[in-house]
Amino acid sequence: MGVAMLPALSRAAGVAAPFALAVVIGAIVLAATGHEPLGVYGLMASEAFGGERRIAATLTAATPLLLTGLAAAVAFRSGIFNVGAEGCFYLGGMVAAVLGFALGDWPSVLLIPVALVGAAIVGGLWLVGPGVLRARLGVDEVVTTLMLNFIAVDLTSWLVNGPLLARGSANSATAPIAVGAELPRLLPPTTLHLGFVISLALVALYGLWSRFTVAGFRSRIVGLNARFSRAVGIHVSSTFLRMMVLSGLIGGLAGGIHALGLVHRFVAGFSPGYGFTGIAIALLGRNSALGIILAAIVFGALSSAGATMQLFSDVPIEIVEIMQGAVMIFAVAKFGFGQARGARA
Amino acid sequence: MSTALAAEKPVALIIAQGGLGDQSYNDLAYAGFKKAVAEAKLEGKPVESKDVVAQAADILRRASDAGFGLVVDLEYSHGDALATVAKDYAGTDYVILNQVKPGANVASVLFQEQEGSYLAGALAALVATDTSVKGMNGKPIIGVIGGTKSVGIDKFIVGYIQGARDMNPKVEVKVAYSNNFGDPAIGLQMAKAMYDGGANVVYQVAGGTGLGVIQAAKETGHYAIGVDTDQDGVAPGAVLTSMIKRTDVAVETVVKDYAAGKFPGGKTVTLGLAEDGVGLSPMKYTHDLIPAATLTKIESVKKDILSGKIKVWNVVDQGYPDFFK
Repeated sequence: MGVAMLPALSRAAGVAAPFALAVVIGAIVLAATGHEPLGVYGLMASEAFGGERRIAATLTAATPLLLTGLAAAVAFRSGIFNVGAEGCFYLGGMVAAVLGFALGDWPSVLLIPVALVGAAIVGGLWLVGPGVLRARLGVDEVVTTLMLNFIAVDLTSWLVNGPLLARGSANSATAPIAVGAELPRLLPPTTLHLGFVISLALVALYGLWSRFTVAGFRSRIVGLNARFSRAVGIHVSSTFLRMMVLSGLIGGLAGGIHALGLVHRFVAGFSPGYGFTGIAIALLGRNSALGIILAAIVFGALSSAGATMQLFSDVPIEIVEIMQGAVMIFAVAKFGFGQARGARA
Repeated sequence: MSTALAAEKPVALIIAQGGLGDQSYNDLAYAGFKKAVAEAKLEGKPVESKDVVAQAADILRRASDAGFGLVVDLEYSHGDALATVAKDYAGTDYVILNQVKPGANVASVLFQEQEGSYLAGALAALVATDTSVKGMNGKPIIGVIGGTKSVGIDKFIVGYIQGARDMNPKVEVKVAYSNNFGDPAIGLQMAKAMYDGGANVVYQVAGGTGLGVIQAAKETGHYAIGVDTDQDGVAPGAVLTSMIKRTDVAVETVVKDYAAGKFPGGKTVTLGLAEDGVGLSPMKYTHDLIPAATLTKIESVKKDILSGKIKVWNVVDQGYPDFFK
């Protein structure tokens, strides 16, 4: 009953609890391995947010996560468990990189939008299959989208080791994109780029769409109760398909932005699993725009601080991975609780 | 690069994709790094990240801002970012491996993989026609599987073919590319096809895919040749030898040079047979299978390469030779 009386407070606690638990678990592991938890967390905080350059590094790391989190959220809120953003990210990155060097003599104002739209379209098309299968035949989208990830990663790996391999390169990488295709940097010499602003704007737009538009409301109702939606005349299967493709578009765009904004080419290991981290971010943020932004920044902070804190301590990267893993587990646990409650209601 | 001060600054090693514990490139480099750091009494930090591709400039700049004197970067995709960052930090030295990048404070390290591969090819051709070696069919047929069709990989392959042809002009070298560095199943299939086609020895230049080549050798009773690290122990007796790339020697050398105030900034350091940067494994499990005369022959070939009597073709510098277009 207390939960019902204080919904806002409970929601905030719901978002913060997984982090708090992860911090506690991290502290136990640190103490057990002979590190001083408070000192390590202090270093972590200063490497994540201590000064303009570190904040920029954290926001750069958060950029792909904002969009993969968004890609997951638009699907989840309609009751579609799309786990295929990782594959879309790879394909979108590859398409944007190829357009970025193939159309290198185009002016930036044309080249960048064309490359990004191309990346988004490929991501969207990639999920048409799972979308149709789910909408028409009820085929489990978790299986289809997960499998498509493997195909996308292997396909891009083959392309970058074969037809698209840069001349003279010993390792798997395409040629670099043209300078005109690079997204502008916001705070040189840091790596923070325009892609962060684009991503943030899209998440904000999603927040408005989901709250204030009919389509946004409908897609949520479908996610909450498909049978009820059908009963009140909402076309459920077309909503499923639309949200799946929208999720793919966003996943592809995320990869395109990552290629044009940061990596400046497509290379083997293009994503360390941004698509999967996006799932945790959407779950943690309860599909809300603000939740996605906060969760993406926290994961970005763990990533940026996790790397550079090794310069100043003997804390291995594994501690950060343990914390990320713990956050994900608790985020999912939270999700299960929410679902169960929703089902009873 | 003022020597007295430089040596007091800490040094960093950026670990490539795959991370520490790969029992290969990264672990080998880190071993050399630790050794040099301990001997030179420097403070040295390894930096690992799952997100290493995306964090190139961020990690390099952070280390430079924090006053690190030397940053050795193992990640191949960091080349361009490293060259850019190096321009902004004249007080920090940088090392990049397996590629050449410009900058007065940048040292590039290249390996003469073709030289070690030449020895591997020579040995393979000699044993293939020697039926006294268990499992050989006596036909002059050997093979090589590359991870991708690129000059970086063909550098190994051409050296291997040249070594084999110089021992036996009639040798047939089957060449194939897996277009994948991480799939042992593909390596297994491709190698089995080569062994079915009569190949006695198959050289793998395909990273993780190559583990399947070794597996195929073990399953079919033929031989594989390992690459990069000493892979003889992966399937004892089935790996004829390994063409070792001494990344540990490379990292150890540049860190020590840095500590001694002799950092080779702006230069390309090449490590070949002469520097012990490449070479064949000690053949712990196959040494006794191979006739002593064959091993003596390989030793004399090595001496001829060192003396310059044999010139091994370098695809990266010379383009493709007539015998391999």
